[in-house]
Amino acid sequence: MNAAVIETPEIPEDSIAPSPALDAVLHHEITDFLYLEAEFLDDWKFRDWLGVMANDVRYFMRSTTNAQTRDRRKSVQPPTTWIFNETWSQLERRIARLETGMAWAEEPPSRTRHLVTNQRICAAADGDGYEVRCNYVLHRSQKERDLNTYIGKRVDRIRRTAGTAHGWQIYFREITLDQVVITSHNLSVLF
Amino acid sequence: MEISSKDIEGMVDVHTGRIHPAIYANAELYELELERIFGRTWLFLCHVSQIPKGGDFFNTYMAEDPIVVVRQKDGSIKAFLNQCRHRSMRVSHADSGNTKAFTCPYHGWSYGVDGALVNVPLEPKAYPQGLCKEKWGLREVTRVREYKGLIFGNWDPEAPELEEYMGDIAWYLDGVLDRREGGTEIIGGVQKWTIDCNWKLPAEQFASDQYHALFSHVSAVQVLGAKPDGDDRHLGSGQTARPVWETAKDAVQYGERGHGSGFFFTERPDANVWVDGEVSQYFRDTVDEARERLGEVRALRLAGHNNMFPTMSWLNGTATLRVWHPRGPNQVEVWNFCIADKAAPEQVKEAFERSETRAFGPAGFLEQDDSENWTEIQKVLRGKFARSTKLCLEMGLGNERMRDDMPGVTNYIFSETAARGLYKHWVDLLVCDTWAEVHERSRSYELELVK
Repeated sequence: MNAAVIETPEIPEDSIAPSPALDAVLHHEITDFLYLEAEFLDDWKFRDWLGVMANDVRYFMRSTTNAQTRDRRKSVQPPTTWIFNETWSQLERRIARLETGMAWAEEPPSRTRHLVTNQRICAAADGDGYEVRCNYVLHRSQKERDLNTYIGKRVDRIRRTAGTAHGWQIYFREITLDQVVITSHNLSVLF
Repeated sequence: MEISSKDIEGMVDVHTGRIHPAIYANAELYELELERIFGRTWLFLCHVSQIPKGGDFFNTYMAEDPIVVVRQKDGSIKAFLNQCRHRSMRVSHADSGNTKAFTCPYHGWSYGVDGALVNVPLEPKAYPQGLCKEKWGLREVTRVREYKGLIFGNWDPEAPELEEYMGDIAWYLDGVLDRREGGTEIIGGVQKWTIDCNWKLPAEQFASDQYHALFSHVSAVQVLGAKPDGDDRHLGSGQTARPVWETAKDAVQYGERGHGSGFFFTERPDANVWVDGEVSQYFRDTVDEARERLGEVRALRLAGHNNMFPTMSWLNGTATLRVWHPRGPNQVEVWNFCIADKAAPEQVKEAFERSETRAFGPAGFLEQDDSENWTEIQKVLRGKFARSTKLCLEMGLGNERMRDDMPGVTNYIFSETAARGLYKHWVDLLVCDTWAEVHERSRSYELELVK
């Protein structure tokens, strides 16, 4: 057998960047806004939630795959596909569907708890606002005794917008779940 | 307790349209299914576009058995049980990729892409008596065949050839696979999720059940259809704003040998489902080529549900192709693919992927309603009395007929001909030892239906 060649894994630059220095008050303002946004979902205030989504919002999640380390080093990985791929009007139709009272996966509706943690905030590369990276737990309690936990990371981009809750709107949300096979029968809740 | 053939026969009465719900919840029946249904029928493995080059592999399942499908150096395709012959460990762990060998992480036994055992660490010292490596290659799936880009595997050397097994469902499947020169491909990856329900519930729905759409999907129909103020800009041109069952000229269900399909006739190449505008425009732009290849009926058949027995389902229009991998009597693992014409322009393929995700991905507007029903059914069936209270499968009983514009046994779309056929075939496979007996039963049942 050949001796194993020990390679140093390449670490993407962005993940070793020092934690960006951000004014503590601004940091607090942004995290508080994201807690409020989570509360809108947990309190079933879906129209209020829609109000903090910018008109040009992109809200998406792709599938997660298993790839070998040696392939990942070469940036080779199995193809992924969309789980969510939403515009503002698609999100609005999702909410309209919940409002019919006949969206059976959410009738009666799930109880959810959105736990948002490990926020790291920096100026967004597109110059439009701030980028917030966080770890994320969505706990869903459905029907009589069904429990589902979705864990992953989220990258949000938010910008100041006058006349909205706390004066902020989300214009980009990328959700990545850690699960390859999603072990629940549907994703009828919002992340 | 051991279930007898007589017990199984008693669970499905296709003549009166009654079924015994124990078929969805009994662990002993499930073990029998793994052997006599999933061990004998043609199961979808993957699409040729997913393993284009020599050494490309794709990991999947045949029922609960892990299978690696791999393109050989000469371009042919083989499939193997993903199980090291030494201690049963998996030899391939990534979802897909390209490799020269499959090496077991436990003790390092290594297999070529042709399944041959090529390297055993410390072989001369560990096996001083000698190890006949030729005997210990990966177990190969008995038969692997391709049908217009779809690769299927079968463990049973006695099973009929793939096309014979498919029978008339191939005519319906061609409506997706053969619309254009160049065939189809899988766009993007695979959505995978679990549903706590028996595999026969989704298989039956895709084979037979258009009836549920009226009520199950009422919320999606309401919010995706035209708005009262006429603002339906989110609909692509060529899509019906109203549910197709309100405007269809005719509507057909096909059911034979366990397979099933259903669709509506429309006058124009309308998608009849809620896809992006680029997708519906694409169907209109390409209808002449499709008509030439497939004829008028299938060129216009842009919305329809289908299941090839036992577990491969697809929907025309929304480009959903999926397998319901069984995971015990009470769970399936859905593997959902977006399938579209290879010749479609890139932006149309992207629109197909978006549309398929929004309608039938795990977060899809329509998908959510279906999985909710099935999981709730499975919970009800935990009850002793629920598990023994017969269910009504009478819709359209006795109205089966043959048509001259499409093959096979048909009925009005709102019927359960295909469901009765699915359960009949299920019984036949469980109780018959030979395919000759299965075919004899299928044939006499079909003759009886259309006499």
